[in-house]
Amino acid sequence: MGTIVTLVVNGLAQGALIFLMASGLSIILGMMGVINFAHGTLFLWGGYMYVWSYYAIRLRVVMAWFETAVPVTRFGNILTIQGVQLPPGETLPFLAELVIFIAALLVAVGFVFVMGLVFEKLFINRVYGRVPAQILITLGIQVVFTDIVRVIWGPNPFPIDRPPFLNGVSVVGTARIVHYNVFLILVGLVIAVIIHRILTKSRIGMVIRAGLQSPDHVRAIGINIKRYFTIVFAAGAALAGLGGALYMPLVGNVVSTAGMNNQILAFIVVVVGGLGSFMGSFLGSIFLGLMGVGIAMTVPGLSVVANVLIMALVLMFRPNGLFGLAVSRAD
Amino acid sequence: MGSNVLLSFDRKPDLPKLIALAALITVFLVIPQFMRNTQLIMMSRIFILAVYGMSYDILRGYTGFINLGQAIFFGSGVYMGVIFLNMQNDLWFFMMAAASIFAASVVGGYIMSKIVLRTGGVVAAAMVTLALGEIVRNIAERWRTVTGGQDGLPLRFSRVALEPLFTTRLGAYYFAFIFLIVMTFVLRAFVLSPTGRVLQAIRENEQRARFLGYDTQKYKTIALIVSSVAAGLSGLVFAVIVRFANTDYLSITYTLNALLITLVGGTGTLYGSILGSAFVTWIQNFLLDLNRSLGWDILRYPMLFVGSLYILLVIFMPAGLLGGFFQLKNWWERKRLSRGTDSTR
Repeated sequence: MGTIVTLVVNGLAQGALIFLMASGLSIILGMMGVINFAHGTLFLWGGYMYVWSYYAIRLRVVMAWFETAVPVTRFGNILTIQGVQLPPGETLPFLAELVIFIAALLVAVGFVFVMGLVFEKLFINRVYGRVPAQILITLGIQVVFTDIVRVIWGPNPFPIDRPPFLNGVSVVGTARIVHYNVFLILVGLVIAVIIHRILTKSRIGMVIRAGLQSPDHVRAIGINIKRYFTIVFAAGAALAGLGGALYMPLVGNVVSTAGMNNQILAFIVVVVGGLGSFMGSFLGSIFLGLMGVGIAMTVPGLSVVANVLIMALVLMFRPNGLFGLAVSRAD
Repeated sequence: MGSNVLLSFDRKPDLPKLIALAALITVFLVIPQFMRNTQLIMMSRIFILAVYGMSYDILRGYTGFINLGQAIFFGSGVYMGVIFLNMQNDLWFFMMAAASIFAASVVGGYIMSKIVLRTGGVVAAAMVTLALGEIVRNIAERWRTVTGGQDGLPLRFSRVALEPLFTTRLGAYYFAFIFLIVMTFVLRAFVLSPTGRVLQAIRENEQRARFLGYDTQKYKTIALIVSSVAAGLSGLVFAVIVRFANTDYLSITYTLNALLITLVGGTGTLYGSILGSAFVTWIQNFLLDLNRSLGWDILRYPMLFVGSLYILLVIFMPAGLLGGFFQLKNWWERKRLSRGTDSTR
C-alpha cells in the first residue's frame, strides 16, 4: 500500500511537470496553429536561468548574512554557478529562503517570457499558416539556442540542491512522500486551474477563441489580434520556462540535453491527448506521468521505449488522441 | 523559379548538357590526383552527403513530408558498416553490410510509414519522427556492447581499404564518386518514373491525386522506403570514409544536416543536394580549421553557426542559395529598371 502511494505521488509529480511543458505547447498549437519545436529550448533556458539566478542570489544573501560563510565549488563557463557553505549549525530563516526561491523562479520565467516575445516577433511572425516552415524554423532555433546554453554555462552536467524548505521527506505509514513532489503537484494544479479560467472566462480567452474561428471579424471590431498572438506565444514559452525551472531541482542534475528529452515527452503528451487540446494535454500528462513511474517500477528495461510505443499505438489506432479531443485546426 | 529551370530534368537531356556533364565528371576524375589526403576526405564526404541529401529530397521535395528521423537510417548505415567491416575489412563483408542495411531500411521505412502516414498531418508526422529518432539514439547510447555508447565505435583496421577494390584514400575517393553517380542515376530514374510523377502530383495537391484514383498512402510509403534505403546506403559508404560511428550520426544533428543540404540546394531539385552538400561540408570543415588555428571556445559548437545559417535560409531564401541568388538578381534588375525610368522622367 505504502509503495503504491509513493508511486502515485511520484507519478503525479512527473505528470505535473510534463503538464507545464505540454500545456504551453498545446495552447500554442490549438490557439494559433503554430507547432513549436523550440519548446524544449525554452524549457532548458528556464532551467538554467533558474539555477544560475538562485545560486547567484543565495550566494550574495548568505555572504551578507554570515561573515564566516565560504563559497564552494563552481560550475559553468561564461556565467558561473557557485554554491555556498553556511557556517556549521546556522541556517537562513525560512522567509529568506522562500524569497530567494521565488525571486529565482521569477527571473527564470520572466526571462523565458521575453525570449518568447522576441521569438514570436523575429521568427514565428513570418510563418503563420505555413506549418512546414514553422517546423523548420523552430527546429533551427532549438539547435542554436541549446548550443548557446552550452557556450554560456559549459557543456558538462553538474549537481544542484533543492531549496532547503522543500528538501524533506515525510513518512506516512509506510509511504515515503517527497515534499518537492507534493509541491510540484500543487503548482501543476494551480496552473491548470488558472489556465482553464483564462481560456474560458477572461477577455483574452474570448478574443483568442473568437480569433480562431474568424480572425477577420475580430479584426473588424478593432481588436489587434496579432498582439494577442504574441502574448499567447510568450505565455506558452513562460510555462515551459517554469517547467524547466522546477525540473532542475527535482532531478538535482543540470544537463543540456534535458530540453530535447522533455520536449519529446511533451510531444508524446500532445499526440496522446489529442493535438491542440488543453484538456487532452492535462489528462495525457497525468497518464504519461503515472505510466512512466509504473513501468520504471515493473519493467525498467522498457522505460525508454514505452512512451514512444504508446504514441505510435495511439497514432495508429486513435489518431484523434486517446480521449478523442484533437482540435481539427492543428492539422 | 530560377533554380528549377536551371536544374530541372523534366526535359530530355540535350547534347550540350551531356557534353558539359561529361566534362564535369572528367574533371572530378582527374583532380584527385593532385589532392592531399585531407582534401580527398572532404571531397569523399561531400559526395556521400550529397546522396544523403538527395534521399531527404525525395521525401521532402517530392512529397512535402518532413521526416525528422532521417538520421536513424543514415546512422544505422554507419554503424552497420563499421560493425561488419570490423569483422573483416573487404568487399564481401561490405556487400553483406549493404544487404543488411538495405533490408533494415526497407523494414524500418515500412514501419515508420505505418505509424506516421496514418494521420496524414505534417505536424503529427514531424513530432513522431523526431521522437522516434531520439529514441533510437537513446537506445544506441545505452546498448554499449554493440555501439560503444557515447565513446563511439572506431574501425579497427588502420588501413583505408576495401579489398580487392581499393587500398588508398584515392581509391576511396573514386569509390565515393562512383557511388554518387550511380545513386544519382537511380534516384533520377525513380523521380522520372510514373511513380515519381504521382509523388509530385501528391506534393502539389494530394486531394486531387486521390480523386484521380491514386492510392496516395501507398505512393508515400514507397517514397519513404526509397528514401530510407538511400539514406541507409549513404551511411554505409560514409562508414568506409570516416571509419568511425557514434550516436551523433543517429541524432537530430544529422537530420538537420540533411535538411540544410536540401535547403541550400533548393528542395525538389535533386541535383541541388550536390551543391548543398559541398557548401555545408565546406563550412563545417572551415569552422574546424578555424577552431584549430584560433582555439576559440565558441568554435567548438559548429551547430551554432550551421544552425544560424539554416534559420536565415529558411527565413530569407526558402528556395535555396541558387534560387535566392536568382531572386536577388531579379530584384536588382527590377530596381535598376525602375531607377532608370525615374531618371528619364
